[in-house]
Amino acid sequence: MIDSPLARFSPFLAFARNNLSRARARTILAMAGITIGVVAIASLGMFGATLEQSFLDTSDDAIRTVAVGPGEDSEFGLLHREQVAEIERYAGNGDVYTLTRGRGEVTGLQETTSASLVSLSDPEVFVTAESGQIPQNWRSGVAIGNELAETLGVQPGDSVQVDGESRRVVAVLAESSRASFVSTGDAVVLPPGEFGDGASQVLIRGETPQQAFAISDRIDENLNSDRRTRYSVFDAESALEQFNQQIGLIRTFLLAVGGISLLVASVSILNVMLMSTIERKEEIGVLRAVGYHRLDIVKLMLYEAALLGVVGSIFGVLISVGLGMVMNAQLLSDPLAFSGQALQYTVLGFLFGTGASFLSGLYPAWKAANARPVEALRD
Amino acid sequence: MSVISATDAVKIYESGDKTLRALDGVSVDVNAGEFASVVGPSGSGKSTLLNLLGLLDEPSEGSVTVDGTALSTLSKRERTDLRRETVGFIFQSFYLVPTLTARQNVAVPGLVRDDRSDLQARADELLERVGLGDRLDHYPNELSGGQKQRVAVARSLINDPDILLADEPTGNLDQDTGAQVLDVFGEITDEGVAILTVTHDEQVTDFADRTIRLVDGRLDDD
Repeated sequence: MIDSPLARFSPFLAFARNNLSRARARTILAMAGITIGVVAIASLGMFGATLEQSFLDTSDDAIRTVAVGPGEDSEFGLLHREQVAEIERYAGNGDVYTLTRGRGEVTGLQETTSASLVSLSDPEVFVTAESGQIPQNWRSGVAIGNELAETLGVQPGDSVQVDGESRRVVAVLAESSRASFVSTGDAVVLPPGEFGDGASQVLIRGETPQQAFAISDRIDENLNSDRRTRYSVFDAESALEQFNQQIGLIRTFLLAVGGISLLVASVSILNVMLMSTIERKEEIGVLRAVGYHRLDIVKLMLYEAALLGVVGSIFGVLISVGLGMVMNAQLLSDPLAFSGQALQYTVLGFLFGTGASFLSGLYPAWKAANARPVEALRD
Repeated sequence: MSVISATDAVKIYESGDKTLRALDGVSVDVNAGEFASVVGPSGSGKSTLLNLLGLLDEPSEGSVTVDGTALSTLSKRERTDLRRETVGFIFQSFYLVPTLTARQNVAVPGLVRDDRSDLQARADELLERVGLGDRLDHYPNELSGGQKQRVAVARSLINDPDILLADEPTGNLDQDTGAQVLDVFGEITDEGVAILTVTHDEQVTDFADRTIRLVDGRLDDD
């Protein structure tokens, strides 16, 4: 203790460490309390952040997209070249796509069903093939949503009848993401310009959600007046706001749960430290007698409490990062996809853990330091 | 030359509406290199006197003087510093830290010093002096009672005190090991350090240069 590197750095730290090693089981249990508290705060916080991240990841495309269609007061039922041009003018550097929807009868190998028909100006932006392939310069054939393909019992290469016309299936489409503007599960996707004599919607995709929201505001401002809603403009701003509110609520709740468990842990540290000051009353009396100031005793006890906190918190952080990796693997399909926010929670957990145990050490330290050596030494 | 002296010291303990005069005007001078023992029936004020001379407590009346400095003129902090530089303590039940080796136990009082460079060498040297040079890395539970008390003696010397205060130092030891501790005391006083011990042990009073008898908080002069 007087010759180790730790002792050369701080003899009190070495002394404190040594004191903790005296009641090993008790020390470990007190640390475990802090560890659990830190894990609760850090991993629950991370869980919230990961949940948010996973939502934003899967719906990122949708949030960046603005959908414009004919409004209540429009003089047109479909968007023709003229209207698309008008919209395009205010789309800034957002990418503009057209979407045409309809319904039709589709007959496969097994049965006939009614399905939605979709034609996109750039299908590859909105749909991905699960099997088969959508050719570049797509002119003929159809792509079919995976649910519909299952119902019809068709695979790429098979033929289907769409409204009585025989078409070859070039691809079966992968499941579209939850919040996608273009849901293709039970749709038949036709090559661009294949049906309808105008678009049902114009989709504008910005680089960021904020850019998309700005585009939608601009279109609404310039193309609609107070009295006439010529175009219906839809973006995800309010949905995103609502989501943020909800996730904030969830996060606060999770942090509160973590905070309570840390509170319980610090009570247990308080208990451990108090017991240890009572047990070591005479010894502390001796230290006072041989010239330790009261502040020296406070320092020694606080070092012990802080050591409990730091070591407990380090384990807590390690476990939380491990749990975080599991969550990331599950929700974001990459164990190392920690967001800055998620890592902030581990720092927060660490600070809370060490802080709480330091605070719990204050009262026992004060009590130990103020015991009069004379009384402590009375047999 | 007197190292520590108490002049007309009175110590009154109050608990509730009762007051207890533990010391009732006691004057004691302890000189450098002297071995003095304090005896008396229990409740006669022996421990109280030891606490006053050990700068652990203040007299209610009268004064305690260390090297010409009156204790009453010092702050608590200065008193603690003075205590560290002047007084070493030895207790009946040793009070060694069980998880520290003999060497580390001896070094403990030195940890609050600013200059710790020679602390370990000094601890080793002191243990050597009390005859435990071959027990440096032993833990208290690997030592006999007499050896533990000698570690405690070495600990009390680490800050180069002028006086050692011992409270029943042989109380937990048998005759032979008690004698060993007294031999060590003899060597220490030869070097000019004063020792004042409270005791019930005749072996100790026989060994002492002088015996102070207390009865009911007063010196019994005969």
